[in-house]
Amino acid sequence: MKQATEREQLTRTDELPIVLTEEARKFTEEVIRRSGERVDWCYQCGKCTAGCPVAFAMDIEPSRIMRLVQLGQGERVLKSKAIWLCVGCQTCTTRCPQEIDPAKVMDTLREMALEKEFAADKEVVTFFRSFLDNIQRYGRVFEPTLVLQYNLRSGHLLQDADKGPLMLFKGKLPLRPSRNGAIVRKIFDALGGRRQ
Amino acid sequence: MRLAYYPGCTLASKAKAFDQTARWVAQKLDIELVELPEWQCCGGLVPQVTDAVMGLLAPIRILADAQTISDKLMTLCSFCYNTLKRANLVIQQDAERRQKVVDFLRETRAPKVFDENFQYDGSVSVVHLLEVLRDDIGFDNVRQKVVRPLTGVRVAPYYGCLLLRPPKEIGLDDPEEPTVMEQLLEALGCEVVDFPRKVECCGSFMIVNRPEIAAQCSATILKSASQIGAQLLVTTCPLCQFNLDWQQMRMLESNGEITPVPVLYFTQLMALAMGAEPFVLGFEHHLVDPRPAVMELGL
Repeated sequence: MKQATEREQLTRTDELPIVLTEEARKFTEEVIRRSGERVDWCYQCGKCTAGCPVAFAMDIEPSRIMRLVQLGQGERVLKSKAIWLCVGCQTCTTRCPQEIDPAKVMDTLREMALEKEFAADKEVVTFFRSFLDNIQRYGRVFEPTLVLQYNLRSGHLLQDADKGPLMLFKGKLPLRPSRNGAIVRKIFDALGGRRQ
Repeated sequence: MRLAYYPGCTLASKAKAFDQTARWVAQKLDIELVELPEWQCCGGLVPQVTDAVMGLLAPIRILADAQTISDKLMTLCSFCYNTLKRANLVIQQDAERRQKVVDFLRETRAPKVFDENFQYDGSVSVVHLLEVLRDDIGFDNVRQKVVRPLTGVRVAPYYGCLLLRPPKEIGLDDPEEPTVMEQLLEALGCEVVDFPRKVECCGSFMIVNRPEIAAQCSATILKSASQIGAQLLVTTCPLCQFNLDWQQMRMLESNGEITPVPVLYFTQLMALAMGAEPFVLGFEHHLVDPRPAVMELGL
């Protein structure tokens, strides 16, 4: 083996211990426990980032999210835009050589961010809320009111206004919602008091 | 062969063509599809969250209804397939969560839906039509029903994400090099194009909250299909179909980056090859009209 030069010996950092604060350690443990995923096994190969279709738009790439979780950087991770850009396509999960499920970790991080009211991306939260309300009302997705409700809540009043008429013309939009709402409303009502 | 059939929301609205061609094809192949009564949304991606009960409610209702019809529940939308199959696995493998959901549903006592005897243990298997064609019908039998072989038509199969992933739970085909659609397309007489972007994500629901990002994802896929000279793209997912169709229409309007590659559901292509009348095919619903391409190909 080649002898390390004096300069290399003086500047190397890989043998230094990383000491995490109590708070940092707790965050790492919580993510691992709640997701059931061994984030601590990640060795930063970067395959998740390489295959991620939306990494180009993320402020922190998926592999770096994993690293920051290992280092207990809760606030940076939970306030990131990246966790809200993940669409759950599972490419990372399929390719991770350590068999970690980063998509599930992202799910867990979104839940934790919502609990701490850190939602950095209003739009996606608004979209999911509108989606659930829509199903609660009609039983099935009824796109015209889903889009309308999303636009009103998010403030993007005219977004997709161009899609509507064209979709109607192409016979893609139903004119009336499904009438199966009653059953779903019963489930939601029963859930009301005990949402977990 | 009798299968319970769960269409899912989009197949009753913007993906009507998928639903009607699938029913037509099934009839030709002697598959009896029995649509679930009064079905509701499967929950889309929502059941994937780790919440103990909420996410499983919608899927378990669908699965429990299916068990009264057949031991197999067939569905077509990649989102529904993924959601139902994975929820079913949780119900099979996680006795504690299953009991929680069942108890909860018994308590609600919604008339005609759940009573004190409500029970579901995960015994229904969730299948995709592609699986049924490959494993039960066989592509040779499909080939025998072809009356209008699509000889020389260059078709790129596009799988997207949720039909194949996560592979350990879905297991429909190889997650990186799937072949099930290739085999089907060959049976229809097509020339299958080796499509490098076939398992890439189209941008999914971000078309609503981050349209500019979804547009980039779809554009990458469309440019690749156009570059390798595909004449048609086939998909199994109503959301992929919409994203690729919508983005393609805009790209064709604004610049000369791509040649038209109309995006069809695999069942539309099957129905075309198996001699369906034009009104069954639903080509008029597409934003990038496949009819000129189909006519040019002499079909």
